[in-house]
Amino acid sequence: MRALTDEEMKTVLDKLANYMSDLKSLIAPLEDGDRYVFRLNHARVYYVKLSIANLATSISRDALLSLGTCIGKMTKSGKFRLHITALPIIASGARHKIWIKENGAQPFLYGSNVVKAHVGRWSEDCPEHQGCVVYSMADIPLGFGVTARSTAEARRLDPTGIVCFRQADCGEYLRDEDTLFAG
Amino acid sequence: MAPTRTIKNKHAGSKSGAAGGGKGGPKRSSSDGVSKPKGKSGPKTKAPATQVKGRPNLAGLDKRKKKRVYTEKELGIPELNMITPVGVTKPKGKKKGKVFVDDRESMTTILALVQAEKEGQIESKMMRARQMEEIREARRVEADKKEAERKAKLEDTKEVLRRKRKRAGGKRDQEDEAENVKSYASTGTKAAKPKKKRVSFAAE
Repeated sequence: MRALTDEEMKTVLDKLANYMSDLKSLIAPLEDGDRYVFRLNHARVYYVKLSIANLATSISRDALLSLGTCIGKMTKSGKFRLHITALPIIASGARHKIWIKENGAQPFLYGSNVVKAHVGRWSEDCPEHQGCVVYSMADIPLGFGVTARSTAEARRLDPTGIVCFRQADCGEYLRDEDTLFAG
Repeated sequence: MAPTRTIKNKHAGSKSGAAGGGKGGPKRSSSDGVSKPKGKSGPKTKAPATQVKGRPNLAGLDKRKKKRVYTEKELGIPELNMITPVGVTKPKGKKKGKVFVDDRESMTTILALVQAEKEGQIESKMMRARQMEEIREARRVEADKKEAERKAKLEDTKEVLRRKRKRAGGKRDQEDEAENVKSYASTGTKAAKPKKKRVSFAAE
């Protein structure tokens, strides 16, 4: 386990900034004087309290399976992939949101994209190809994706047209159970 | 390559002295103190090399002349045509290893940088989207206007045609009625029925 280099940190934050409007809250000091940090182990990036990360230094790299919240994986080419496990962090400061109706929740959780007919409402002024968090109508975050059209364009779209490309959904907790937290 | 190798060997022999395990090892160790034998022993060892080159009498010149070693830049080899790719070579004299970001200040700076960059990107995206939307709207209005104009023109022509027909149709109607009355009078109303086509088979 190690801290991230500045390059890696930039990549991770860049990806998070696609979905979140307020990044500063991520590393803001907590009430008890602790703060959250990013740690890397076996190409996975973890978002963890500093005190816990310090405790984890006593465990060897190979023996350490997971700590804190796994937010994603660094690819071998140096890019960063967000996992569904990062959803609570992203959803707390989401930049753009899409709420889907009940009839659209199941198809989304089974891994399909969001079509216009399933959209209950969406945040205004959302550009094309921008990260957005998908909620159910009861304001429960279900996953996240990338908008296929801007809000204005999506209004003119036919009901079967895709509004949001799925990136991750809660169904992955079951589908990718084996590889989600540790590789 | 051959002459340089021999020179190198000679130096190595003179330096290492007792450690030299080559053919001329003991000879050189005996002549270490004296400068002359070096010259003598030099040509002896070099003889085959110079013969190969075809310059037997230039022993002293060979000694001075070192084969020039070219650097990679001087050779002008294309940068991509190397064992180590361009991006992978690390600068010399720099400390090995990674520089970690763990303190809050540097993290905050990176965070602020990334956020500002992202905001800028999104803002420009939105601006572009709005502009495109405006252009599209203007085009649609234009198209609607053209469509309305075309429709109005069509309606006008239709109206004109209708009027013309009415005028001409008034005279024609009177004539038609007169003809009808004549035909009824001559043949009766039943006579207007068309004849049915019939098929019959020839009787045996």
